[in-house]
Amino acid sequence: MKAEQQQTIPTGSATFPAQMPRPPPVTEQGVATEAELLAKEVITPADVLSLPGITQGFLCSPQANVYNIEFTRFQIRDLNTQQVLFEIAKPEAENQEIIQPESVQDAARYVRYRFGPSFLRLKTVGATVEFKVGDYPVENFRMIERHFFKDRLLKCFDFEFGFCIPNSRNNCEHIYDFPQLSQTLTLKVD
Amino acid sequence: MRVLILGLDNAGKTTLMKKFLGEPTDTIEPTLGFDIKTVHFKGFQLNLWDVGGQKSLRSYWKNYFESTDALIWVVDSSDRERLSQCAEELRKLLEEERLAGASLLVLANKSDLPGAIDVNSIAQVLDLHSIKSHHWKIFSCCALSGERLITAMTWLCDDVGSRIFILD
Repeated sequence: MKAEQQQTIPTGSATFPAQMPRPPPVTEQGVATEAELLAKEVITPADVLSLPGITQGFLCSPQANVYNIEFTRFQIRDLNTQQVLFEIAKPEAENQEIIQPESVQDAARYVRYRFGPSFLRLKTVGATVEFKVGDYPVENFRMIERHFFKDRLLKCFDFEFGFCIPNSRNNCEHIYDFPQLSQTLTLKVD
Repeated sequence: MRVLILGLDNAGKTTLMKKFLGEPTDTIEPTLGFDIKTVHFKGFQLNLWDVGGQKSLRSYWKNYFESTDALIWVVDSSDRERLSQCAEELRKLLEEERLAGASLLVLANKSDLPGAIDVNSIAQVLDLHSIKSHHWKIFSCCALSGERLITAMTWLCDDVGSRIFILD
Protein backbone atom coordinates (compact mmCIF):
# COMPACT_ATOMS: atom_id res chain seq x y z
CA MET A 1 0.00 0.00 0.00
CA LYS A 2 2.72 2.39 0.99
CA ALA A 3 4.76 1.70 -2.14
CA GLU A 4 1.75 2.34 -4.32
CA GLN A 5 1.06 5.64 -2.60
CA GLN A 6 4.63 6.76 -3.04
CA GLN A 7 4.39 6.23 -6.76
CA THR A 8 1.15 8.11 -7.24
CA ILE A 9 1.45 11.00 -4.80
CA PRO A 10 4.59 13.07 -4.51
CA THR A 11 5.68 14.22 -1.06
CA GLY A 12 4.02 17.38 0.14
CA SER A 13 0.86 16.98 -1.91
CA ALA A 14 -2.67 15.76 -1.54
CA THR A 15 -5.42 14.39 -3.74
CA PHE A 16 -9.13 13.68 -3.68
CA PRO A 17 -9.02 10.01 -4.77
CA ALA A 18 -12.13 8.50 -6.29
CA GLN A 19 -11.88 5.41 -4.18
CA MET A 20 -11.38 5.30 -0.49
CA PRO A 21 -9.13 2.54 0.77
CA ARG A 22 -10.67 0.38 3.44
CA PRO A 23 -7.97 0.15 6.04
CA PRO A 24 -7.77 -3.06 8.02
CA PRO A 25 -9.31 -2.82 11.47
CA VAL A 26 -6.76 -1.87 14.13
CA THR A 27 -8.28 -3.83 16.96
CA GLU A 28 -11.12 -6.27 17.39
CA GLN A 29 -12.63 -3.81 19.81
CA GLY A 30 -12.54 -1.11 17.12
CA VAL A 31 -14.51 -3.24 14.70
CA ALA A 32 -17.16 -3.92 17.27
CA THR A 33 -17.47 -0.25 18.09
CA GLU A 34 -17.79 0.81 14.46
CA ALA A 35 -20.41 -1.85 13.83
CA GLU A 36 -22.26 -0.75 16.92
CA LEU A 37 -22.28 2.86 15.78
CA LEU A 38 -23.50 1.92 12.31
CA ALA A 39 -26.42 0.08 13.88
CA LYS A 40 -27.49 3.16 15.81
CA GLU A 41 -30.10 5.56 14.54
CA VAL A 42 -28.22 8.63 15.78
CA ILE A 43 -24.46 8.89 16.21
CA THR A 44 -23.43 11.49 18.76
CA PRO A 45 -20.16 13.44 19.20
CA ALA A 46 -19.52 11.34 22.33
CA ASP A 47 -19.75 8.20 20.18
CA VAL A 48 -17.16 9.59 17.78
CA LEU A 49 -14.85 10.61 20.62
CA SER A 50 -14.99 7.10 22.00
CA LEU A 51 -13.79 5.40 18.82
CA PRO A 52 -10.48 3.66 19.56
CA GLY A 53 -9.08 3.92 16.03
CA ILE A 54 -9.85 4.91 12.46
CA THR A 55 -13.04 3.50 11.03
CA GLN A 56 -13.11 1.32 7.96
CA GLY A 57 -15.73 3.45 6.27
CA PHE A 58 -17.92 6.50 6.71
CA LEU A 59 -20.48 6.44 9.48
CA CYS A 60 -23.18 8.21 7.47
CA SER A 61 -24.26 8.37 3.85
CA PRO A 62 -23.59 11.45 1.69
CA GLN A 63 -27.35 12.09 1.77
CA ALA A 64 -27.17 12.66 5.52
CA ASN A 65 -25.43 15.96 4.81
CA VAL A 66 -28.70 17.90 4.81
CA TYR A 67 -26.97 21.24 5.35
CA ASN A 68 -24.81 20.73 2.28
CA ILE A 69 -21.63 21.33 4.21
CA GLU A 70 -18.79 20.93 1.77
CA PHE A 71 -15.10 21.07 2.59
CA THR A 72 -13.40 22.96 -0.21
CA ARG A 73 -9.82 23.66 0.84
CA PHE A 74 -7.12 22.27 3.10
CA GLN A 75 -3.80 23.89 3.83
CA ILE A 76 -0.93 23.20 6.16
CA ARG A 77 1.82 25.74 6.79
CA ASP A 78 4.94 25.86 8.89
CA LEU A 79 4.77 28.84 11.23
CA ASN A 80 8.53 28.88 11.82
CA THR A 81 9.45 29.35 8.17
CA GLN A 82 6.10 30.81 7.01
CA GLN A 83 6.13 28.22 4.22
CA VAL A 84 2.94 26.64 2.93
CA LEU A 85 3.73 22.94 3.07
CA PHE A 86 0.83 22.11 0.84
CA GLU A 87 -2.58 23.22 -0.20
CA ILE A 88 -5.40 21.47 -1.97
CA ALA A 89 -8.59 23.16 -3.14
CA LYS A 90 -11.58 21.60 -4.77
CA PRO A 91 -12.31 22.96 -8.20
CA GLU A 92 -15.51 24.99 -8.26
CA ALA A 93 -18.42 22.88 -9.50
CA GLU A 94 -19.80 24.47 -12.65
CA ASN A 95 -23.26 23.07 -12.27
CA GLN A 96 -24.42 22.25 -8.78
CA GLU A 97 -27.64 20.68 -10.11
CA ILE A 98 -25.95 17.65 -11.60
CA ILE A 99 -26.67 14.68 -9.38
CA GLN A 100 -23.50 12.71 -8.98
CA PRO A 101 -23.29 8.98 -8.49
CA GLU A 102 -22.65 7.87 -4.93
CA SER A 103 -19.06 6.84 -5.60
CA VAL A 104 -18.22 10.39 -6.69
CA GLN A 105 -20.04 11.84 -3.68
CA ASP A 106 -18.00 9.54 -1.48
CA ALA A 107 -14.76 10.67 -3.09
CA ALA A 108 -15.70 14.28 -2.45
CA ARG A 109 -15.47 13.75 1.29
CA TYR A 110 -12.19 11.95 1.42
CA VAL A 111 -8.78 13.53 1.03
CA ARG A 112 -5.40 11.79 1.02
CA TYR A 113 -2.18 13.53 2.00
CA ARG A 114 1.37 12.38 1.77
CA PHE A 115 4.03 13.99 3.94
CA GLY A 116 7.76 13.51 3.88
CA PRO A 117 9.55 12.33 7.03
CA SER A 118 10.62 15.92 7.82
CA PHE A 119 6.97 16.69 8.55
CA LEU A 120 7.29 14.92 11.89
CA ARG A 121 10.05 17.28 12.97
CA LEU A 122 8.05 20.49 12.51
CA LYS A 123 7.52 22.62 15.61
CA THR A 124 4.46 24.77 14.97
CA VAL A 125 1.96 24.27 12.18
CA GLY A 126 -1.19 26.02 11.02
CA ALA A 127 -3.89 23.73 9.62
CA THR A 128 -6.66 25.43 7.65
CA VAL A 129 -9.94 24.03 6.46
CA GLU A 130 -12.40 25.91 4.33
CA PHE A 131 -16.01 24.86 4.00
CA LYS A 132 -19.17 26.04 2.35
CA VAL A 133 -22.66 25.87 3.81
CA GLY A 134 -25.86 25.43 1.79
CA ASP A 135 -29.13 27.33 1.81
CA TYR A 136 -29.98 26.71 5.46
CA PRO A 137 -28.32 28.23 8.52
CA VAL A 138 -26.45 25.70 10.64
CA GLU A 139 -27.22 26.37 14.28
CA ASN A 140 -24.43 24.53 16.01
CA PHE A 141 -21.64 23.06 13.93
CA ARG A 142 -18.94 21.14 15.73
CA MET A 143 -15.92 19.57 14.07
CA ILE A 144 -14.00 16.75 15.67
CA GLU A 145 -10.71 15.65 14.15
CA ARG A 146 -8.97 12.53 15.44
CA HIS A 147 -5.50 11.79 14.15
CA PHE A 148 -4.39 8.20 14.58
CA PHE A 149 -1.25 6.27 13.92
CA LYS A 150 -2.36 2.65 14.08
CA ASP A 151 -4.40 2.49 17.29
CA ARG A 152 -2.68 5.42 18.92
CA LEU A 153 -4.38 8.81 19.07
CA LEU A 154 -1.73 11.41 18.22
CA LYS A 155 -3.93 14.50 18.19
CA CYS A 156 -7.57 15.36 18.79
CA PHE A 157 -9.06 18.63 17.63
CA ASP A 158 -12.57 19.34 18.85
CA PHE A 159 -13.98 22.74 17.96
CA GLU A 160 -17.41 24.33 18.04
CA PHE A 161 -18.01 26.69 15.15
CA GLY A 162 -21.50 27.29 16.47
CA PHE A 163 -23.62 29.16 13.98
CA CYS A 164 -22.88 29.12 10.25
CA ILE A 165 -24.44 31.68 7.91
CA PRO A 166 -26.48 30.21 5.02
CA ASN A 167 -24.58 30.15 1.72
CA SER A 168 -21.40 31.15 3.48
CA ARG A 169 -17.79 30.22 2.87
CA ASN A 170 -15.89 29.83 6.11
CA ASN A 171 -12.29 29.31 7.12
CA CYS A 172 -10.71 27.98 10.24
CA GLU A 173 -6.99 27.84 10.94
CA HIS A 174 -5.84 26.00 14.00
CA ILE A 175 -2.26 26.88 14.96
CA TYR A 176 -0.67 24.40 17.29
CA ASP A 177 2.57 22.92 18.46
CA PHE A 178 3.19 19.62 16.83
CA PRO A 179 2.65 16.69 19.17
CA GLN A 180 6.06 15.49 20.28
CA LEU A 181 6.43 11.87 19.29
CA SER A 182 8.98 9.61 20.82
CA GLN A 183 11.93 8.74 18.60
CA THR A 184 10.79 5.14 18.28
CA LEU A 185 7.34 6.18 17.15
CA THR A 186 8.78 8.73 14.71
CA LEU A 187 10.87 6.01 13.12
CA LYS A 188 7.82 3.78 12.80
CA VAL A 189 5.72 6.49 11.17
CA ASP A 190 8.58 7.36 8.77
CA MET B 1 -10.23 33.58 25.24
CA ARG B 2 -12.85 34.33 22.63
CA VAL B 3 -12.20 37.46 20.57
CA LEU B 4 -14.76 38.75 18.09
CA ILE B 5 -13.46 40.94 15.26
CA LEU B 6 -16.09 43.13 13.62
CA GLY B 7 -16.32 46.28 11.54
CA LEU B 8 -17.77 47.49 8.25
CA ASP B 9 -16.82 45.65 5.06
CA ASN B 10 -13.40 46.59 3.68
CA ALA B 11 -12.18 47.77 7.10
CA GLY B 12 -9.31 45.27 6.97
CA LYS B 13 -10.39 42.69 9.57
CA THR B 14 -9.10 39.65 7.71
CA THR B 15 -5.89 41.42 6.67
CA LEU B 16 -5.20 42.39 10.29
CA MET B 17 -5.71 38.86 11.47
CA LYS B 18 -3.54 37.39 8.74
CA LYS B 19 -0.79 39.91 9.45
CA PHE B 20 -0.96 39.09 13.14
CA LEU B 21 -0.33 35.43 12.32
CA GLY B 22 2.32 35.98 9.67
CA GLU B 23 0.30 35.05 6.62
CA PRO B 24 0.62 36.77 3.24
CA THR B 25 -1.87 39.62 2.85
CA ASP B 26 -1.72 40.20 -0.89
CA THR B 27 -4.78 38.22 -2.01
CA ILE B 28 -7.57 38.88 0.48
CA GLU B 29 -11.14 38.53 -0.67
CA PRO B 30 -14.28 39.73 1.10
CA THR B 31 -15.18 37.33 3.92
CA LEU B 32 -18.52 35.74 3.07
CA GLY B 33 -18.90 33.96 6.38
CA PHE B 34 -16.34 33.67 9.14
CA ASP B 35 -12.61 33.29 9.36
CA ILE B 36 -11.43 31.70 12.60
CA LYS B 37 -7.90 31.43 13.94
CA THR B 38 -6.93 29.62 17.09
CA VAL B 39 -3.46 30.44 18.38
CA HIS B 40 -1.39 30.73 21.57
CA PHE B 41 -0.38 34.30 22.40
CA LYS B 42 1.02 35.71 25.67
CA GLY B 43 0.03 32.58 27.53
CA PHE B 44 -3.57 32.65 26.28
CA GLN B 45 -5.35 30.36 23.87
CA LEU B 46 -6.91 32.95 21.54
CA ASN B 47 -9.93 32.05 19.45
CA LEU B 48 -10.21 34.89 16.95
CA TRP B 49 -13.54 35.15 15.10
CA ASP B 50 -13.53 37.48 12.13
CA VAL B 51 -17.05 37.70 10.69
CA GLY B 52 -17.80 39.30 7.31
CA GLY B 53 -18.81 42.96 7.50
CA GLN B 54 -20.99 43.35 4.43
CA LYS B 55 -24.39 44.83 5.12
CA SER B 56 -26.19 41.56 4.31
CA LEU B 57 -24.05 39.71 6.86
CA ARG B 58 -24.33 42.17 9.77
CA SER B 59 -27.67 40.77 10.88
CA TYR B 60 -25.86 37.50 11.59
CA TRP B 61 -23.28 39.09 13.90
CA LYS B 62 -25.53 38.47 16.90
CA ASN B 63 -25.04 34.73 16.47
CA TYR B 64 -21.42 35.16 17.51
CA PHE B 65 -21.82 37.30 20.65
CA GLU B 66 -22.13 34.49 23.22
CA SER B 67 -19.15 34.10 25.61
CA THR B 68 -17.13 36.84 23.91
CA ASP B 69 -14.27 38.08 26.12
CA ALA B 70 -13.07 40.83 23.81
CA LEU B 71 -14.34 42.76 20.84
CA ILE B 72 -12.02 44.23 18.23
CA TRP B 73 -13.74 46.95 16.22
CA VAL B 74 -11.86 47.70 13.03
CA VAL B 75 -12.26 51.11 11.39
CA ASP B 76 -11.08 52.15 7.93
CA SER B 77 -9.47 55.50 8.80
CA SER B 78 -9.56 56.57 5.16
CA ASP B 79 -13.31 56.01 4.71
CA ARG B 80 -14.66 59.43 5.75
CA GLU B 81 -18.00 58.84 4.09
CA ARG B 82 -18.93 55.86 6.18
CA LEU B 83 -17.46 56.92 9.52
CA SER B 84 -20.87 57.85 10.92
CA GLN B 85 -22.29 54.50 9.78
CA CYS B 86 -19.32 52.87 11.48
CA ALA B 87 -20.07 54.77 14.71
CA GLU B 88 -23.72 53.75 14.54
CA GLU B 89 -22.89 50.02 14.14
CA LEU B 90 -20.49 50.17 17.08
CA ARG B 91 -23.07 51.93 19.26
CA LYS B 92 -25.54 49.11 18.55
CA LEU B 93 -22.98 46.49 19.54
CA LEU B 94 -22.16 48.20 22.82
CA GLU B 95 -25.82 48.03 23.82
CA GLU B 96 -25.79 44.25 23.41
CA GLU B 97 -26.24 42.47 26.68
CA ARG B 98 -24.26 39.45 25.58
CA LEU B 99 -21.24 41.65 24.89
CA ALA B 100 -21.46 43.39 28.26
CA GLY B 101 -18.12 43.29 30.02
CA ALA B 102 -16.11 42.42 26.92
CA SER B 103 -12.97 44.51 26.53
CA LEU B 104 -13.12 46.76 23.48
CA LEU B 105 -10.11 47.32 21.25
CA VAL B 106 -10.68 49.84 18.47
CA LEU B 107 -8.18 49.63 15.63
CA ALA B 108 -8.02 52.70 13.42
CA ASN B 109 -6.67 50.83 10.41
CA LYS B 110 -5.11 52.24 7.23
CA SER B 111 -3.80 55.20 9.25
CA ASP B 112 -0.87 55.41 6.82
CA LEU B 113 -3.07 56.30 3.85
CA PRO B 114 -3.02 59.90 2.67
CA GLY B 115 -6.15 61.64 3.88
CA ALA B 116 -6.66 59.20 6.74
CA ILE B 117 -8.54 60.66 9.70
CA ASP B 118 -6.37 60.94 12.80
CA VAL B 119 -6.96 58.59 15.69
CA ASN B 120 -8.23 61.28 18.10
CA SER B 121 -10.91 62.44 15.66
CA ILE B 122 -12.02 58.83 15.18
CA ALA B 123 -12.27 58.37 18.96
CA GLN B 124 -14.42 61.49 19.04
CA VAL B 125 -16.78 60.44 16.21
CA LEU B 126 -17.16 56.98 17.76
CA ASP B 127 -17.82 58.73 21.08
CA LEU B 128 -15.47 56.37 22.86
CA HIS B 129 -14.98 58.66 25.87
CA SER B 130 -18.61 58.24 26.89
CA ILE B 131 -18.31 54.43 27.11
CA LYS B 132 -18.76 53.29 30.69
CA SER B 133 -19.84 49.70 30.07
CA HIS B 134 -16.58 48.39 28.60
CA HIS B 135 -12.84 48.78 29.11
CA TRP B 136 -11.67 50.28 25.84
CA LYS B 137 -8.60 51.54 24.05
CA ILE B 138 -7.97 52.83 20.54
CA PHE B 139 -4.80 52.31 18.49
CA SER B 140 -4.00 53.56 15.03
CA CYS B 141 -2.48 50.82 12.93
CA CYS B 142 -1.62 49.63 9.48
CA ALA B 143 -2.66 46.07 8.74
CA LEU B 144 -0.35 45.77 5.76
CA SER B 145 2.81 46.62 7.73
CA GLY B 146 1.55 45.20 11.02
CA GLU B 147 2.54 48.38 12.80
CA ARG B 148 1.36 48.59 16.45
CA LEU B 149 -0.62 45.38 16.00
CA ILE B 150 1.31 43.41 18.63
CA THR B 151 1.11 46.33 21.09
CA ALA B 152 -2.65 46.53 20.61
CA MET B 153 -3.16 42.77 20.96
CA THR B 154 -0.98 42.75 24.07
CA TRP B 155 -3.14 45.44 25.67
CA LEU B 156 -6.24 43.40 24.86
CA CYS B 157 -4.86 40.20 26.38
CA ASP B 158 -3.63 42.03 29.49
CA ASP B 159 -7.01 43.67 29.96
CA VAL B 160 -9.00 40.46 29.59
CA GLY B 161 -6.42 38.63 31.68
CA SER B 162 -6.71 41.07 34.57
CA ARG B 163 -10.49 40.74 34.51
CA ILE B 164 -10.39 36.95 34.51
CA PHE B 165 -7.87 37.11 37.36
CA ILE B 166 -10.16 39.32 39.44
CA LEU B 167 -13.13 37.02 38.84
CA ASP B 168 -11.10 34.01 39.93
